[in-house]
Amino acid sequence: MIYFFDGSKDAFLTAFLCAFRDEDAYLTTGSRQLSLGQQSVFVPADRKRARRCAQRLTSFDGRCMHDLDMLLRSGEAERGQTAFCYFRLLADRKRPVRGEFAEDAVRQASECIRRVGLEVHRLKGFVRFMECESGALYAPIAPDHDVSDLLLPHFRARLPNIPFVIHDVRRSKAAVWDGEHTFTAPLARAEIALSADEAGWQTLWRQYYASVNIPSRERLKQMKGYMPVRYWKFMPENPSAVVDAFTAPPASRAGSQDGAPRPHGSAQ
Amino acid sequence: MIAEEKLKILTNSAKYDVSCSSSGSGRRNAGGIGNGMPDGCCHSFTPDGRCVSLLKLLMSNDCVFDCKYCMSRRSCDVPRATATPEEICELTVDFYKRNYIEGLFLSSAVHISPDHTMELLVRTVRLLRTKYRFFGYVHVKGIPKADPLLVTEAAKYADRMSYNLELPSEKSLKLLAPQKSRESLLLPMKQLQRERAVFRAEKRKGSFLPAGQTTQMIVGASPERDGQILRLTQSLYRANGLRRVYYSSYSPVVEDSLLPAVQSPALREHRLYQADWLLRFYGFDVEELVPEDENLPLDVDPKCAWALRNLHLFPVEVNRAPLEMLLRVPGIGGRSAQKIIAARRYTALTFEHLKKMRVVLRRARHFITASGKFYGEKNELAVRGLLTAGEHAERAQQLSLFDTAALSARTGEL
Ligand code: SF4
Repeated sequence: MIYFFDGSKDAFLTAFLCAFRDEDAYLTTGSRQLSLGQQSVFVPADRKRARRCAQRLTSFDGRCMHDLDMLLRSGEAERGQTAFCYFRLLADRKRPVRGEFAEDAVRQASECIRRVGLEVHRLKGFVRFMECESGALYAPIAPDHDVSDLLLPHFRARLPNIPFVIHDVRRSKAAVWDGEHTFTAPLARAEIALSADEAGWQTLWRQYYASVNIPSRERLKQMKGYMPVRYWKFMPENPSAVVDAFTAPPASRAGSQDGAPRPHGSAQ
Repeated sequence: MIAEEKLKILTNSAKYDVSCSSSGSGRRNAGGIGNGMPDGCCHSFTPDGRCVSLLKLLMSNDCVFDCKYCMSRRSCDVPRATATPEEICELTVDFYKRNYIEGLFLSSAVHISPDHTMELLVRTVRLLRTKYRFFGYVHVKGIPKADPLLVTEAAKYADRMSYNLELPSEKSLKLLAPQKSRESLLLPMKQLQRERAVFRAEKRKGSFLPAGQTTQMIVGASPERDGQILRLTQSLYRANGLRRVYYSSYSPVVEDSLLPAVQSPALREHRLYQADWLLRFYGFDVEELVPEDENLPLDVDPKCAWALRNLHLFPVEVNRAPLEMLLRVPGIGGRSAQKIIAARRYTALTFEHLKKMRVVLRRARHFITASGKFYGEKNELAVRGLLTAGEHAERAQQLSLFDTAALSARTGEL
């Protein structure tokens, strides 16, 4: 049987209770049309049952609700089932299973969580703020996973005096630090008036990025491995432009920076 | 705002410094902008595959020294520029706030005199920390032959400092960097090490180089062998408490009868990084890796090479071997070793399990048994042949640790 749920924690836990004993259970947040011809049911969240279920599971493994939170943030289509298999094993064993990497369910859940965590880690580096007239900062992102609010503590700790908005344009929601509180809010479109200097700093950054590259060593594959292309579109350094200049036939490369020979120990 | 042209000159001369890591400091924000992230953070990647973490700048490229291998040397005809402390502070803060960078890597040519230059650097970082209230990462290059008091002063504001040894022996240094000497580089290193120890012992307020010191050596410009270089490295780690030693392949851009005319192979640099990694994280001693007057083998990585010389210790049973031994198995990295230790508490591991845990069985199978089963070759020649062939296929896509300083903590497993 296919169990549809709305992606929330409560709905998952409710669905978990329904599906627990069903050998062929498949939990998904997908659209219901997909199930034509198969038996399916939509499970709405039931807060009371969900809370009881959470308590039970937590008594087996005190950190498991954190795992669930991370799993449900995943943007992967199979996240519901990945979580279901992991929690079914936990409920079977009645003790923490997180170290049992020989089990498919554990490995898949742990890898899914790792991917969500990796995106948070990457975004700590890849988020790009623009300065607004008011001095507040605004950064659009379009992450694979629902992680915008996980970025709040990090940026709040380093920018305590500057209000900022991290706008997940894919999910139309914003994670906000207003100088006193952090919160999330729905946000479809943002109208931004940029500060007078913003364009100037972006130009300097572009310039810096282009000149810090060493064109004689091309390692595009590695570059894209560490910084997947999907993150590029909000980066003012415009990596695609630099990559294009790079891969262009030599004749059109006249303007490139690497005429300069390599100054070896150029500093102390 | 600093002029575009100036920024270009000052970054172009700074970009070849390979140490870019922003790790090791957990500096707290005390009511300004920024803080330290102990694991470091990469903010961008350039098409050469390197991470952009710190704003790497020279204060000045206008040098009074004349090191043979360097484009900023006095006798070279290149455009010169010198930035002001304010220009640098402003740039750092405005880049940081937009999350372009994790902090500043400030270096300089010897402008006017060592003391004058060091003073400029100190003034800049002091300004950055006090007036601009910047708590992000700051790496400052030490200027050889500068007044020791200035060096101490810089360390109060910096997270990390580095003196680049550049050449692995005094003799080569004399020949190629006549105004520097081993002393002028090692003395301040030792001074900082001493002062940092005192600072920690007395639990003084403030901070003193929380991320320690690093250094860099050019490989292939002078005749020293890997064995000699790595012995120096090991003593720098053990006796001088350095956090990282970086290696940079020599490439001939300056014509000089004293310099070789050929590019040092990137693979040699890669092998040095692998060996360095084994020294720091895998419990190896340099004596186990390479004799003093030899280079590391190029055909297989240093861990495989060691295992091949010590086949009598293998195979080990993954379900019983202690962590130290698992770490010495080719194909098992730090992360998979930890996973094996965790998973084998619950079940006897098989090759199928290991494969799913991302152990590189192509290499590991010759050195392990899993639940008593062995799928490798026993004969040394056969093993060596297979490892070398695999190495060739892999190398095309292999990561150079050099390029990934900040990420390598996760990806440099052997
Ligand atoms: S002192 Fe530094 S900048 Fe000056 S020539 Fe030597 S390596 Fe180059």
